[in-house]
Amino acid sequence: MSWIREGELSFLERLSANILKAGPMPRHVAFIMDGNRRYARKRHVERKEGHTQGFDKLAETLRWCLNLGIHEVTVYAFSIENFKRSKEEVDGLMELAKEKFLRLLEEQAKLEEHGVCIRVLGDLTLLPEDLQRLIAKSVVSTKTHNRCFLNVCFAYTSRYEITNAVREMAWGAEQGLIKSSDVSEALLSQCLYTNSSPNPDLLIRTSGEVRLSDFLLWQTSHSCIVFQSVLWPEYSFWNLCEAVLQYQLNYRSIQKARELHREAEAVQQLESDRSCVAELLHQGGNGKPVDARSRHAALLSYTASREERVRRFLGALQQKRDTFFEHLSSPTAVA
Amino acid sequence: MALVYELVWRVLHVLLQLQRAAVSWFQARAWKRTWLLWRRAAAAVLLPLALGFANQKKLGTAAGKRPIRRCRVLTDGKALEKLPLHVGLLVAEEEAQYTDIANVVVWCMALGISYVSVYDNEGVFRRNSSRLTEEIIKQQKELLGSESCKYSAEFLNNGTDAQEKVSWCQTVVKVWSPDDGKLGIVRAAQQLCKAVEQKESTSKDITVSVLDSLLRESKNIPDPELVLKFGPVESTLGFLPWHIRLTEFISLPSHKDVSYDDFLCALRRYSTCEQRLGK
Repeated sequence: MSWIREGELSFLERLSANILKAGPMPRHVAFIMDGNRRYARKRHVERKEGHTQGFDKLAETLRWCLNLGIHEVTVYAFSIENFKRSKEEVDGLMELAKEKFLRLLEEQAKLEEHGVCIRVLGDLTLLPEDLQRLIAKSVVSTKTHNRCFLNVCFAYTSRYEITNAVREMAWGAEQGLIKSSDVSEALLSQCLYTNSSPNPDLLIRTSGEVRLSDFLLWQTSHSCIVFQSVLWPEYSFWNLCEAVLQYQLNYRSIQKARELHREAEAVQQLESDRSCVAELLHQGGNGKPVDARSRHAALLSYTASREERVRRFLGALQQKRDTFFEHLSSPTAVA
Repeated sequence: MALVYELVWRVLHVLLQLQRAAVSWFQARAWKRTWLLWRRAAAAVLLPLALGFANQKKLGTAAGKRPIRRCRVLTDGKALEKLPLHVGLLVAEEEAQYTDIANVVVWCMALGISYVSVYDNEGVFRRNSSRLTEEIIKQQKELLGSESCKYSAEFLNNGTDAQEKVSWCQTVVKVWSPDDGKLGIVRAAQQLCKAVEQKESTSKDITVSVLDSLLRESKNIPDPELVLKFGPVESTLGFLPWHIRLTEFISLPSHKDVSYDDFLCALRRYSTCEQRLGK
């Protein structure tokens, strides 16, 4: 089955899509595609068949999202915790992934036509080497597409991602690019695997489970979360509409909470800058009192220099990441 | 055409809002009605006692809650297959009611839940945590009566280093605010980066378990297994992002006048949840 599914919505679906689109629409939707195995059990087919059907449903859901004007989708494909499953199942899933990424490379023309950019979020080094290379090739080849974005979380857990971000910041401190006092909420967000995406507006989990299972914990802290009882391979356009309706019903209160959070974040940043400046003035001023105007000027110049440091560090980090992917995807790469 | 769509959308949303309001209204009514029936039946059976009984009960209804007996709570606790060690109470609605939340905290204590966390995204409970503490002590006396002295709770008044501790046997009550969520992770990150900056450790030393133990502070509180979310907003609203990895979220329509039965119903639902932990 292909990554891109052609086809149009039926009349009724189109009508409902247009009605929904009259309200606020999520720009970025995240899915925990749960229930493939339960589906296989229910239908008395093999587990692998359940996973395959799950993938097909993903292609279909992506089309629905595009029809609804949702241009970014993040899915939880494989968790680091999933390595605990039986060897047979893990191997089967790796095979399936290989098959799908090979298919993706074959479909490049189609992906380019639709402008689909594919990103894989997670620690690739935990995967078999041939899969790593395939993933890197897919990511590099669709990098420049910018009409819609599909983020596939593979070998991912949110705690691991946050820890990795902290490790990257510590690397920056080691290299002398940033100071430890530059660490802030905004900087941490920029060091996550998801740095190039806005936070998801809507998170959907299928199959009736009511937990996040270590998925995008940081990014969804002010997202609308919808738990649906349908199994993933049975997910329908109407389920998606229902989730969007939920999002719209919650829109105002969540926007308000986000606004509140943004304000608090700005206050934090200002306070942190102020205390750094105070310390600097204290060290440099031999204990003489400093008047308000020069204090303000010092604050401004400190903020500018911090922003410059952070910008340089983020540039270096991006380059480090790009090199990793490019090295992996180059034909001569020997991992 | 766009105008028509917008009109239909507006009508649809008004209908949905109405439906939502109706559902919560009926839920509130439903138990009041059964309660009334029960009261009438009791009055009929215990006719000789009816006068005093009704008077006593009127007090109960006036306060908007059902007096629960400790023995009932204990059997309820035993009947549950699985009891969470740590329950989070997430208030996702405006106008926090201290009495109602205090009630839920006391029910948790009576069931033998070891840790209770209270959170709202505006930090109202944190700012007024002493009021909440008072209210909990008051409700505890009222609901558990003479038994209340057997129960004790420890209030962890976080934020500053000064920990205000009120000892209450097994239950630890902690009030969280948004400052503990992402900001807590940022503070831990700063600490780790500082150590690296001063060449005390290297970036390679930073692992999930290092960060986890730093975020757990010294108190060693386990992650909440269950969060009861009160209110219509379907979001975690910044509730401890690091800690809710495997937390089950169960929603209740409102914390205002929440009944013991609703609370128990949510715990029953939790006890049927199965976690596969990635497998």
